[in-house]
Amino acid sequence: MAKNRRHFGIATVLIVICTFVVYWVLDSVLLKPAAAVLEAGPIDYLFDLHIWLIAFLFALVAVFMCYALIVFRSRGDEGDGEHIHGNGTLEIIWTVVPCFVVVYFAWISTTMLIDLSRPNPDEYVVNAEGRQWSWLFTYPDSGAVTADLVLPVDTPIRMDLTSDDVLHNFWVPEFRVKQDSVPGMVTHVRFTPTVIGEYVLRCAELCGTNHSGMLATVRVVSEEDFQLWQSEQLAQAQE
Amino acid sequence: MSLFTLGIARGLLGQVLGMVIGMLLTCVVRILLGWEAWAAEPAWTVGAVCSIIGFLLGVGSLDDWLKWTRGIPTPLHHGPPVDKPAWTRYFSVDYNHKVIGVQYTVWGILLLMVGGTVAMIFRTELARSGLQFLGLDLYNSFIGMHGMIMIFAILLGVGGMANYLVPLMIGADDMAFPRLNALGFWFNVPGSILLLLSLFIGGWDAGWTAYPPLSARGPIGYQLFFLGVFAIGLSSIVGSLNLLVTLLRMRPEGMSLFRMPIFCWAVFATSLIQLTATQLIGTSFLMVSVQRAIGMGFFDPRGILGEVSPMVGGGDPVLFQHLFWFYSHPAVYIFVLPGLGIVSELLPVFSRKPLFGYKWIALSSMAIAIVGFLVWGHHMFVSGYNDILRIPFMYATLLVAIPTGVKFFSWLGTIWGGKVHFDTPMLFVLGAISVFLIGGLTGPILATVPTDFPLHDSYFVVGHFHATMFGGFVFPFFAALYYWFPKVTGRMYNETLGKIHFFIMTPAFWVQTLGQMGVGVMGMRRRIADYDPTLGAGQIENWQMAVTIAGFAIAFGVMLMLWNFFQSAEVGAAAGDNPWRSRSPEWQIPSPVPEHSFPAPLHVVGEPYDYGLADAGYVTTASTGDD
Repeated sequence: MAKNRRHFGIATVLIVICTFVVYWVLDSVLLKPAAAVLEAGPIDYLFDLHIWLIAFLFALVAVFMCYALIVFRSRGDEGDGEHIHGNGTLEIIWTVVPCFVVVYFAWISTTMLIDLSRPNPDEYVVNAEGRQWSWLFTYPDSGAVTADLVLPVDTPIRMDLTSDDVLHNFWVPEFRVKQDSVPGMVTHVRFTPTVIGEYVLRCAELCGTNHSGMLATVRVVSEEDFQLWQSEQLAQAQE
Repeated sequence: MSLFTLGIARGLLGQVLGMVIGMLLTCVVRILLGWEAWAAEPAWTVGAVCSIIGFLLGVGSLDDWLKWTRGIPTPLHHGPPVDKPAWTRYFSVDYNHKVIGVQYTVWGILLLMVGGTVAMIFRTELARSGLQFLGLDLYNSFIGMHGMIMIFAILLGVGGMANYLVPLMIGADDMAFPRLNALGFWFNVPGSILLLLSLFIGGWDAGWTAYPPLSARGPIGYQLFFLGVFAIGLSSIVGSLNLLVTLLRMRPEGMSLFRMPIFCWAVFATSLIQLTATQLIGTSFLMVSVQRAIGMGFFDPRGILGEVSPMVGGGDPVLFQHLFWFYSHPAVYIFVLPGLGIVSELLPVFSRKPLFGYKWIALSSMAIAIVGFLVWGHHMFVSGYNDILRIPFMYATLLVAIPTGVKFFSWLGTIWGGKVHFDTPMLFVLGAISVFLIGGLTGPILATVPTDFPLHDSYFVVGHFHATMFGGFVFPFFAALYYWFPKVTGRMYNETLGKIHFFIMTPAFWVQTLGQMGVGVMGMRRRIADYDPTLGAGQIENWQMAVTIAGFAIAFGVMLMLWNFFQSAEVGAAAGDNPWRSRSPEWQIPSPVPEHSFPAPLHVVGEPYDYGLADAGYVTTASTGDD
């Protein structure tokens, strides 16, 4: 028993070190795209929490496994190990404790999800229709129709998605959120762009031959530029 | 000896004839209706159905039943065929579960090689951005082909392990229904041939998931794909029924459920899923097939009017996803539970210590099987179904982590305090744990909806499920091949080559799976023929190159293993009855196992994993009764 206690002491120290090392490696290796919407804040926070959990659980299992393999390796003898069939208390602990962790993660995700999908009375609506292999954007308040998406910065946006043919998916990696567009129904995705710039909308649901090339430019512009752009679109449409 | 003494040759001939007859039948019906005689889609569809029946008739796996309908007795023949060389039994209908187990395994390995080759081709394409040598359509067909061939290979590998091992582990003479067992295997051959053939009549470009409306509109290859999957599904259903009956009815005296070798529990849980869920993928694919062939609007609200699919609109594409994932998520547990069973089976042998928490491990398999039925909606978090459904599916999905965690911790408990031997099977078991750990730990981040948004349908998912498939099936399957190779052939494999295989494949797989996850986090979508080289601050191409190189290293390792087995089957040292000093029943009988495995009925006198307890027996063939 005393021997086991020493083993557990060493393993605990190693687990702590290993957790930080794994977290640091994952954090520096995983190159998330820049965040360009308000929603990226909570999503990236939860992502980071998961990376901590991954680092800790990886360390827990990997350290115990490697430690046991070294300490309890067979040294050439043909003998057997200890005759232990299990330990009910331990089994209950590692069933119940993860339950709490899981429920905690599910609970914070639930509240976050409800926040992310809550309708905003001031949201600006743009319709998007996917088709093999391009997008068609309609602005209901001005009637403008475009192939590329232009959005005002710092305005809550609701995209109303549908499809003309097969399934497509609306995804701008910098915007984090993602939603299928489905023929015969309208689906929604909500986000608030916070950074002026140019992004690429990438269809993320396999949609046939040119799926990989189904891209559209997304320009996030200032409110004034957006008004200017809309009036240009209308003028063009009238010509 | 003529080629047609081999059942498989007759079966293939039967398949070709069946195809031709089916096509002619279609033409005749169309002429009678006053339509143009030839229409490719219905002709291939009816032809494919008839070709499956043609194969089964040709190979002879329906012979006995047909004889029964005419009252002809069919005594079960034991041993190799009387007037042919002994090896021919592996190419014909044979009712011995050990032969069927080998047939499953070898066919599975062949498909594994085909699927792997396909993967190597498009991995080479992905090593650099831009399209080098594959066209878009061929690329799209290849990714689906890789996926579905590998699923076939895994189901066959699972079938091989279960059929060979379960009767031996419970001391049964054979499976409960030997003829059904043979039929279960032979469904796979025409099924996989149809799948491979589909590539040559246009392919199918919607991935292995084949979501409509895309799959309702694509080339004719889809029909052969759907019917191929249907055949494999029939194999799953009859095979799992057989295993369940065998496990419940054919255990020897004294072997209570909690005294079975732990692998049997894994097979039991897997078979429960296979028996009850496979119908759903069959149904969903059959509905798309019917939609295409005769224009029933199930899944395509807009419809199209054209040559390929002259149909009016109707139905709902999201319904397909529900039906499809109701099987295809539990299917993941069909693939991994037997592999995790192998891990639990081998750890005590090589740690020389009882399995830690036997009942917990056994029941965790059942828990995974049951919870697995309630989580299919996590594949559909962004599909457009009712938003509120995401929350219960998120909770249910995260719950799977708990029984999975029980397995991991119990495995650690098994190693702790043991005397660990590092033979090749044990190395692959440890590799499996390390890889399944990566796959398991990357699950919760996909299960919580907000973090699923950026990762859904990205390459991160590709990395995640390859880690679960390799950790849950490939590594344990290879461990099982090395471990039971001496029992099947009577000879030992080359240990050095086995270790080289392990030390090439394991780090290579780590690189591959972490690389795939990394490019996914950068923003690369899955299933794309070409990617944006500016992703990940321009780092993505280096990562892709690393993944491709790692993929080739894995392929090299697998070839090394196969070469090892081919060589060792001829020249390997005699293995002896029990080279691993295992307590399991199959190691108490000669290697290779004789035609009738056990000379006398088994009696169970102890616990299966009493390593470290002197003179504790598990099974004995000595009669304990007063007969």
